[in-house]
Amino acid sequence: MNIISVNTFWTLWLLVHLLLSVALLGALTHQAVAAMMPVRKVAGSAGFVTRFRAVPAPGYAAAVCLLWVLTFIVGSYIYTKYRIYIRIPLEQAHYWKTQGFFDFKEHVASVGLLLLPAYWFFWKNAHDPQYDTPRRMVTVFLAAACWFLFIVGHILNNTRGFAS
Amino acid sequence: MTTDTVTSRAMPSTSSLASSTKFRTFAVTFSTVGPVIYLVSLFMNWPVFTYHPATNRFAWGLEAARSGEGPNMTWYGWTLTALLAATALGLLATLLPERIAKRIPLNLVWILPWLAIPFLAWDLKQWWLHP
Repeated sequence: MNIISVNTFWTLWLLVHLLLSVALLGALTHQAVAAMMPVRKVAGSAGFVTRFRAVPAPGYAAAVCLLWVLTFIVGSYIYTKYRIYIRIPLEQAHYWKTQGFFDFKEHVASVGLLLLPAYWFFWKNAHDPQYDTPRRMVTVFLAAACWFLFIVGHILNNTRGFAS
Repeated sequence: MTTDTVTSRAMPSTSSLASSTKFRTFAVTFSTVGPVIYLVSLFMNWPVFTYHPATNRFAWGLEAARSGEGPNMTWYGWTLTALLAATALGLLATLLPERIAKRIPLNLVWILPWLAIPFLAWDLKQWWLHP
């Protein structure tokens, strides 16, 4: 018995991918800003930017790893349909650069996945100054990568979403 | 109001994994060589397997798209190549004496991924330069 249509099924998975990526984007952005501009002491009432930076960044590490893996798995699942029902029409419509950015996205997602063990270790040892530079820089890379993945995915969906 | 807030430091971790020198060696090696292996796998086209989405068929290694069976997908295979090889090298690195393992440069973990970006942009030139 078909409860939902095939289009609805894949659109729901695309939305799950979107929601996971939004959570990941928020966590990584907070963490990257906190890592690069940590708040040592706040005198008086803190403004928005200070409060944005004042999150307990080490506590985000495990959640970021889990969200990256989950977003990656769901993205990998819907990629099978993208390859046939989205990419082929995009190529037929000569959207070459759009297609190139999607390929860029898949590579950046894989590189990010491979960084997670060291990223997690650096944050779990955030008290140790020897890990300060790699911890900050890996976090900034992952945050920048996540923004790139999110924007490319958004543009791809605008170009041709699953329901189109 | 004065509030002491330290946002990027933490108390020493109580996790045994986080305080393990073997795991440190594994994690740093895995994350250093993983992206490099991924790029090599991509450049040499060495997927562990190929997936044919139209027919839901898997094949070991690289298999070209067959006529009438839709496109092939190698990204899963490239990613698995990198995961398996990085895991193997990470585990091998844990066998190194600690004094040698500690000399693996930590900064390669973030320098190599940033260097990967221009390489990827170059590797995808067919899309940017397509007439």
